[in-house]
Amino acid sequence: MSTAIERPRWTCALGGALAAAAALPRTVPIIHAGPGCAANFAWTQNGASGLQVGGPCAALAFPGTNLQENEVVFGGAERLDEEIEQTLKIMDGDLYFVLTGCVPEVIGDDVDSVVRKYAHRGVAITSASTAGFKGNSYFGYEEVLKTLFAKVLKTKPGRREKTVNVWGLPPMMDVFWKGNLAGVKDLLGLLGYRANVFFGPGASLEEIENAAGAELNIVLSDVYGLEAARLFKKIHGVDFISLPPPFGAAASDRFLKLAGRRLGLPARKISEIIKREGRRHYEFLEPLIDVYNDMEGQRYAIVIGDVNYGCAVADFLTDDLGWLADLVFVTDDLSDDERASLDKARSARARPRPEIIYESRAGAIAEKIDGRWRPSSTKYHNSRRPAFVAGSSLDRALAVSLGAPHLSLSFPVSNRAVLNRGYTGYDGGLRLMEDVISSAILMR
Amino acid sequence: MSYLDQRVPPKREDRHADTCLAYGGTICGAQKPGRVCALTAGADRAFTQGSICPLLPAMGIMSSLPDTVVLMHGAVGCGSCAHGNNGNVRAGHAARSGQPVDALWLSTALNEIDVVSGGDEKLARAIEEIEAAHHPKAIFVVSGCLPGIIGDDLDAVAARVQPKIAAKILPVHCEGFKSRFMATAYDVIYHALGRNLLPAPTKKQPREKTTINIMTVGSMGRVDELELERLVKELGLKANFFPVFSDPDSLPRAARAALSVSTCPTHDDYFLIHLKEKYGVPYIIRHMPIGIANTSRWLSDIGQHFGLGPQAAALAQAEEKELEKALDDFRPLFQGKRVFLSAGEYRSLATASLLRELGFEIAGIRSFHYDEFADVEIEKLRREGQDFSWSVANVQPFEEANLLKRIKPDLFLGHWHGNNNAARLGIPTQVIYNTGFGYIGYRGAYDLARRLDRKLKNTAFTDRLGRYAGLPYQKSWYRREPFSLIRSRA
Repeated sequence: MSTAIERPRWTCALGGALAAAAALPRTVPIIHAGPGCAANFAWTQNGASGLQVGGPCAALAFPGTNLQENEVVFGGAERLDEEIEQTLKIMDGDLYFVLTGCVPEVIGDDVDSVVRKYAHRGVAITSASTAGFKGNSYFGYEEVLKTLFAKVLKTKPGRREKTVNVWGLPPMMDVFWKGNLAGVKDLLGLLGYRANVFFGPGASLEEIENAAGAELNIVLSDVYGLEAARLFKKIHGVDFISLPPPFGAAASDRFLKLAGRRLGLPARKISEIIKREGRRHYEFLEPLIDVYNDMEGQRYAIVIGDVNYGCAVADFLTDDLGWLADLVFVTDDLSDDERASLDKARSARARPRPEIIYESRAGAIAEKIDGRWRPSSTKYHNSRRPAFVAGSSLDRALAVSLGAPHLSLSFPVSNRAVLNRGYTGYDGGLRLMEDVISSAILMR
Repeated sequence: MSYLDQRVPPKREDRHADTCLAYGGTICGAQKPGRVCALTAGADRAFTQGSICPLLPAMGIMSSLPDTVVLMHGAVGCGSCAHGNNGNVRAGHAARSGQPVDALWLSTALNEIDVVSGGDEKLARAIEEIEAAHHPKAIFVVSGCLPGIIGDDLDAVAARVQPKIAAKILPVHCEGFKSRFMATAYDVIYHALGRNLLPAPTKKQPREKTTINIMTVGSMGRVDELELERLVKELGLKANFFPVFSDPDSLPRAARAALSVSTCPTHDDYFLIHLKEKYGVPYIIRHMPIGIANTSRWLSDIGQHFGLGPQAAALAQAEEKELEKALDDFRPLFQGKRVFLSAGEYRSLATASLLRELGFEIAGIRSFHYDEFADVEIEKLRREGQDFSWSVANVQPFEEANLLKRIKPDLFLGHWHGNNNAARLGIPTQVIYNTGFGYIGYRGAYDLARRLDRKLKNTAFTDRLGRYAGLPYQKSWYRREPFSLIRSRA
C-alpha cells in the first residue's frame, strides 16, 4: 500500500455529496467551503463523468461562501448566515442543502446553529458534514443519503402500498446513473412496484419525504449505501436487500427473483415475468447470432472498476456474453470490513467468480497482468488472447500495451458522451452488448 | 530582496494594490480623473457562487510538464480537477510528440488523523515513494487548503527529503483560501520553477542572441504556439516556449534568451522581472497577440527591440492584408451583431478588440478580475468611442444571467465552463479558449472567425435549449439590479 493515492478515481466527500445534492429534485446545494471547490468538481466531472457536469443548478452556479483568510482566522459562520439569507432571495428551489468542506470543519464553524435558525423560520433547509478529509466521494454520497433519511424524511408518513426505495448508484461517480436508475425502475415496474429513486429526472421531493412508507429498500451495491440502509432501518423500520446493479438479463433475473421474493410475490408469477422478459430480450439478440458467432466474439476480459462496475460488468460479461472475465480489479479504497463483506457477497452468488484484486494504481495493475495476456512468439502459447479491457478511461494505456480493445464504463469516463444511457435491466443489457461488441470491432 | 528569495510567493492582492474582484458598470464609467481605471480594490459580494481558486489554473500548467509528477498535499478531492485537465494533457502531448500521454498526479489524501497530527511525515514518505516508482525529473509538491491551516511545512519537508532523491522537489503554495484571485496561480508556478529549475546566474551570463522566450499560458494550445513561432521566425528569431509543456531540462534555456515576451500581461510580470533582475534578460509585457492590430503591435515591439522595426512592420502589413482579404467571406454575417464576452481579465478584453475587427458590436464584457495590466486594453476599447456594459467578477453566473436577460446579445463568448447561462437562454455560444483551437495571431483571428461563422449559420442547438432549459434563479431576481449584491469593503 503506497502512502499517496495515484490518480484517485474519485474526488472528495464534498464532491460526491455535491453531485448527489445537485441531483435531488428542486434542490439548491449551498457550499460552505474554500473558494475553489465548486470549479474543482466541475473540472473533475468534465474529464470523468461522460461529459455531464452539474445539474439544473450547474457547475459554477452553486451558491458558495468561498471562505478566505479572514474567515479562517475569525470563523465563517457569519458568512454562511449571510450566504443563506441571500440564497433564499435569489436561487429558486424547494430544498436548500448546506454542504461543508475542509476549511469550516477544521476551523470549527457551528453550521448546525446557522441552519437551525432558518429551519425554525420554516425554510426547507438541511446540512451534511462532508469535509474532504473525512472521506471520498462515495462517502459524501452516503452522507447525503443519511441526511435525507435522518432529517428530511417524514417519520410516520403512512404506508405507501406497492412502493420501494432504491439507491446505491452515486450520481456522476456512476457515470450512467440516470439510465441505470431508470432501468431498475422498469424492472420493479414488472413486479408491479413503483420505485422512489431520490435522484435525477424520475424523482420528486414529495416522494422523498414519504419514503419511510415504502415496503422495502433496495441497495444496488455491495458496499455503497449500506450504512445508510442500516440507518434507515433503525429510524424508520424498513428492511433492505442489497445486490450489485443488475446489468443485463442474467443479473435482472436474479434481481427480480430476490426482490420479488422479498416483496412476497408468488414464485410462479416471478418466473412467468422472467420468462416473458427473457423471450422479449432474445428477440432482439437473435439477429446477432450469425455474425457474432462467425467473428468469434468471445473474449478474455480484464475488468477494472469501482465496487459497482467491477462486480456488475464482470458478472455481465461472464453470465450474459459467456466471456472469461479472469481478472477483476476493484479500484476503490475500501476498509478491510468492506472488502470482507464484498468478497462474501460475491462468493455467495451462483457461479464461481474470480477473486477480486484490490488495486487502483495503473502501474501496479499492469504488473499483475502476466505474460499470458501479452503477445508471445512461443509456438504453443495458451494465451489470454483475444483480450478485452473493460475499465475507465485511465486504463486505455494498458489496453494499448496489450493490443486489446477497450471500453470506458467506470469513473473516470472521459471519452464517451453519456445522457440517459444505462445498463441495468434487460434492455440495459442490450445496450451494454452493443457498446462492448462495437468497441471490439471498431476497425471492421 | 526579490520575491523569489522568499519561500512563499506573495498573493496578488498584496503585490498589486489595485487588483479588484467586484465591479459593475460600464467600460467608460470605470474611468476616474487622472486614472485609466479606478475600481474599489476591496469590493466583494454579499452573495457568491462557486468560484475558481489558484489551484485550478496551477494544475493546468503543472500537469502539462513532461517527466514530472504532481503530488497534491491535501484532502483527496483537491486536484481531482486533473481529470478535466487530462484531456488537454493528452492532446497536448499528441500534438507535440504524436502520442497521447496521461497526466500523472497523486494525492496524500489527508484524513482526520492527519488533520490532528499533521501531514509532514506522510508527505515525506509519499515523495520518496514517487521517486522510487516513477523516477521523474521533478515533483511538484502542492499544498491545498488543509496544510495551510494545520501548519504543515512543505518547504521544510522538501529540504529534508531533497538530498535523498534525484528528482527536483518543487514546493507549490496553492492554499485556496489565501488569495481571492486565481491569477495568484501564475506567480505561484513561476515561483516554484524559478527557485528550483533555473541555474545559478553566472558573471558572464551565456546568451542565445536570437532566442526569445515566449511565455505561454495554460489556455494556449500547440496550434497557437506554431502561429507565434511562424511569425518570429520570419524575423529570424527562435521561439523558446515557457513553461507549458516544457521539459524540465529545457527550462534553464529561458535564462540564456535575448528577450522575454509576454502573451498575457497579467500572467507574466512576476517571472519576467525575475529573469531580468537575475539573468539580465530584458522583457516586453504590453500586448496579448489576440486580435489583428494586437498581433501587429506585439510583433512590432519585438522587432523594435532587435532593431528590426521596418521588417516587423512590413511583415505585419503583409499579414494583415492577406488576412483582411480572407475575412471578407465572413464579414457580412458578422456585421453589427451584438456580442457579450466573459473570461479572464486580459483574454476577455483582447478578444473584444478582435471581435470588433471582425465587424461585431460589443454589448458587454465580464472580466474575472481587474488589475493595472488591463489599462492598455481598456483604453483601446474606449478609443472607439462606444460605451458598453463592463463588469468584474470571478464568474458569478447569477449576475451574468441578469445582465444577459437585459442585454440580449446575438452571440456569447465565455471561458471554459462559462457558457452555460447563455446557452440556456438560447444565445449561440463560443468557448473563448480551449487548447487545441486557434485563437492567437493572424491565423487565430481567422480560425475564430471561421468557427463563429459556423456557429451563426446554424443556431438550432441553442435555439432549442433556450426554449426548454431553465436557469436556477427566482423570477424576482431578474427585476433587481444585476450589481445590487456588490458592496465595497475598502
